[in-house]
Amino acid sequence: MPATAAATDAPSTTSPSGRGRRRSEDRSDAGTKAFNRLAATCLTLFALIWLVPFVWALITSLRPNNEITSHPTRPWSNNWNLDAYSSTWTTNPIGWWYVNSFIISTLSVLFTVVVCSMAGFALVHLKWRGKYVILGLILGGLMLPMEAIVLPQFMQFRALGLLGTYWALILPVVAAPVAVFVFHAFMRGIPDALIEAARLDGASWFRIYYQVCLPLCRPAISAVAILTFISTWNQFLWPLLVLTQTKSQTIPVGLGSLIGGSAIQYAETMASAVLGILPLLAVFLLLQRQIVQGVANTGIK
Amino acid sequence: MTSTPTVAAPTAGAATQTRRRSAKAPAGQNRAGWLLSSPFIILYVLFLIGPVLVGVVISLFNTTTVAPGLGDFVGFSNYKDVLSNADFWASMWHSVLFTLMTTPLLVLLPLLFAILAARLTRGRWFFRLAFFAPYVVPSSAVCLIFAFMYTPQTGLITNAFGWFGLTAPDFLGTTSGAWFAVVLLTLWWTFGFNFILYTAAIQEISEEVYEAAAIDGAGPWQQIRSITVPLLAPTMSLVFILQLLASLKVFDQIFLLLQGGPNYSTRPVIEYIYDTGFTSYRGGYASAATMVYFLLLVAVSTGWLLVRNRRNSVPNA
Amino acid sequence: MTGLSRRRFLAAGGGLTLAGALSACGSPVATSLTGGQPATADVIFWHLFGGGDGENMKKMVTSYQKSSRRSVESTLLSWGNPYYTKLALSASSGRPPDVAVAHLSRLPLLAQANLLERVDSEQFTGVGIIEDKFTPAAWEKATVDGAVYAVPYDTHPFVLFYNEDLAKKAGLLNDAGDDLEPMKGRDDFVNAIKAMKQAGGDFGAVASITADPSTCWRFFSMLYSAQAGPMVEDQGTKVSIDRDAMEETFAFMQSLTGSSGLMPGNATSTTTSTLFSSGKSGFLFDGEWQIPTYRGVDLPNGKPLNFNVVPFPAILGDKAVAYADSHALIVPKSTARSAERSADAIGFIKFLLEDSAVWAAGGHIPAWLPVQKSKEFLKQKPQSNYIEAAFSAVYDPVAWYTGAGSDFQTAMGSVISSVLGGTTSPKEGVRDMTASLKTFSTARPPVS
Repeated sequence: MPATAAATDAPSTTSPSGRGRRRSEDRSDAGTKAFNRLAATCLTLFALIWLVPFVWALITSLRPNNEITSHPTRPWSNNWNLDAYSSTWTTNPIGWWYVNSFIISTLSVLFTVVVCSMAGFALVHLKWRGKYVILGLILGGLMLPMEAIVLPQFMQFRALGLLGTYWALILPVVAAPVAVFVFHAFMRGIPDALIEAARLDGASWFRIYYQVCLPLCRPAISAVAILTFISTWNQFLWPLLVLTQTKSQTIPVGLGSLIGGSAIQYAETMASAVLGILPLLAVFLLLQRQIVQGVANTGIK
Repeated sequence: MTSTPTVAAPTAGAATQTRRRSAKAPAGQNRAGWLLSSPFIILYVLFLIGPVLVGVVISLFNTTTVAPGLGDFVGFSNYKDVLSNADFWASMWHSVLFTLMTTPLLVLLPLLFAILAARLTRGRWFFRLAFFAPYVVPSSAVCLIFAFMYTPQTGLITNAFGWFGLTAPDFLGTTSGAWFAVVLLTLWWTFGFNFILYTAAIQEISEEVYEAAAIDGAGPWQQIRSITVPLLAPTMSLVFILQLLASLKVFDQIFLLLQGGPNYSTRPVIEYIYDTGFTSYRGGYASAATMVYFLLLVAVSTGWLLVRNRRNSVPNA
Repeated sequence: MTGLSRRRFLAAGGGLTLAGALSACGSPVATSLTGGQPATADVIFWHLFGGGDGENMKKMVTSYQKSSRRSVESTLLSWGNPYYTKLALSASSGRPPDVAVAHLSRLPLLAQANLLERVDSEQFTGVGIIEDKFTPAAWEKATVDGAVYAVPYDTHPFVLFYNEDLAKKAGLLNDAGDDLEPMKGRDDFVNAIKAMKQAGGDFGAVASITADPSTCWRFFSMLYSAQAGPMVEDQGTKVSIDRDAMEETFAFMQSLTGSSGLMPGNATSTTTSTLFSSGKSGFLFDGEWQIPTYRGVDLPNGKPLNFNVVPFPAILGDKAVAYADSHALIVPKSTARSAERSADAIGFIKFLLEDSAVWAAGGHIPAWLPVQKSKEFLKQKPQSNYIEAAFSAVYDPVAWYTGAGSDFQTAMGSVISSVLGGTTSPKEGVRDMTASLKTFSTARPPVS
């Protein structure tokens, strides 16, 4: 059911038909090759351009400031050094920002996976009164623009006394309609026979959910976990409103406070940006396949 | 997306109907169903529907964001103030303008690139990496880097204009320069997401269709035009609505890079709500603005759904 | 699957970090989970001072930490609206900083929203923070509805810079050479500017009036306030403009930048500082915080720039007034702050007050009279020249939307800027100003 992983290099359209084509038109084969070569060149050029901001930030962060001001566009340095990193690490509590982001994202993933998989299971394999109403409600939730609702949300959490805590960031994220639908789709793929067999063995519904269905939903768990982790890590406006104490902030909010700051300390600013990018980039590089797969699946759903 | 759950239910229902006829408890299922979904339902009602209700209530009072209590009841006068306020409409226009500028770019360019990428056999991982990596970068890091590259005289992008013999616009000081800066940033940042969606959809097109066309003598460009693009229509529609909604909800980039400037000339609606609600402490007023904006977004989503359902008499596979 | 083992590794690493984070002292993690009072340092302090002022602040904080053996977590935040928004958000969450800086012009809204501890309470008076130790104008400004909510720290007025060499050539210096000949009224003032221009500058005076609404506002406010009362009353809900006075003010300002060519009609802050620091303009109208910019600057011919700073004379009215704002220290209310923490916060404030001669090096006039009257401050030049500006200071009108960096200043400043630039006539300026004020005054105040 899930789309074949974008990772697997599906053979290009030219190779299987190559034999057939050679039999017919040599001209179009050459044309195809030229087209492909043009495509490759074009794409490579753009891909390299796309990498420029990353590379430029990295290079800048390793050069001394006076060199940056005197030769702003030179991509080379005679004095590569890590001073900017140690400087920004001591000036800003980046370590605490990492910890906060990590705790919030991890707890969000945990709760989201548990809560949404349970709901997905119940919506697929159980017959209960009001099920379709709830399903409709969740469907409606897909259209709710949660980013727009920050002001009333702020007032609500203020009344609950949860402002300034991690919970204000975790709780709104856990009940995610998209996650429910991802689990829903996977749960559907579990044959009823398995469930019936477990039921006949006398297992409770919760046992069936936990021991039968959940293990079979690994790809769904992986997709939901990764996407939730990334999206909660990168949240900006809501954490900006909730986490005001400097050491309690997450990376995006912390980095945001550095914009418009010292206009001459370019290296430190870029070092902060690089440090901010590193965690998720590492996650991305390690889990590329799963991430891309997850995005593709979610979109298709 | 909307039709799959209803397709799912009958199959589950059919299986359980046999069970119901046997002695086992539908009551057990009922209870289990509610128990297992209750955490979700509670959280959903509290934190997804809750804020909407809170917003509606607050918008009828002169509430302030810094003090507890609802304040005085003022009926619809907050709405009247919002709808007659020039700054509010200006910010609505800015969000719409941003959407108009980014949506075509972010729907069509990734399509083009995905089509080109599909024609390659090697190095797909490289393109995926290059185009999608920006997606995992937090908005403030992106803005830090781009603000640096947009620095007058010394910034990389500012100088890049010079290499091509053009004069760089004043990115942070003029409105048109600011829009250019923010659109370029957004393009770089969110391109990869749509690119992935298109790539996945292209991969689902079976090889045989291309083979048949190739045997018929269709060149690569023709194949793209008559096979790839039409088959991607539903994906394009999906990418379109996702991009439309995401662009209408813009906040991060414009707030961080431009602070809504110069002189609030690029301030989007969410930043207007932020300014009136949190900088000027006018909770009731900002809530009314939120509700108006919220209705707009829901209307857009609903409109798209209706149009799509009317077009597809057959639900999505 | 390799992905899983990698994930397990990440999870294990994360678990260790979490355990370490929870147990560390000064860790924000525990309070972020339970919602308690953040205790990442003994005193959590927010301010908006960058550059030279920031360095002075750092010096004082370090001295405090050494002498009192308390830890201070001091955070620098962006100046203007973002700072006050953040302050409000944190106060709203019930976990604000222990001490924060605020402009007195921004105080009304903060105080009326019930976000601040009262300064005229036993905690403060007990350590000697009492009314007669402060500049009266500042203390009055710190009073809202009869209660005092902020500890004034300094006054920073809008003042008159002059190039000493050009002034000598123009014959404007007094006998001692340390001040200008006293000027009384509009004609004296304009003649002085004319003389400066003739003494060899491109202009007689400059001010940063393009893309700098705050400076325009300060300049205008100083002239207008000499003849009329505040532009809005009743906490900003009533517009009370004296149209004639305003028109006269605009006409006067335009006469300087218009055809007389005494001042440029368009000047950004960069242009302004270039003109003054290269000796092309004898007078500069700017805030005293710009003094460090010109210290140690050399003229194009290599000679040092000799300048002095004095208060403005009486121009359009009978008495000299100075537009000023003050920084003050506030203690935001917190639901969970212990008595010990409060005591530390107030101790920190007291220390900063007593150390404010260090702060004054940035050009400011300390509000704490013991330091203001001390030898240490009086020998600081040119700060001690304009002490009287602190006493004759006129602040922003009291309203919920006025104050440093507010939209109000931006809106007013843009009208003034276009009058100065010559694109709006004085009459039109009055009309535009009134219209702009109407939008502010008719918006429903969030607190009352």
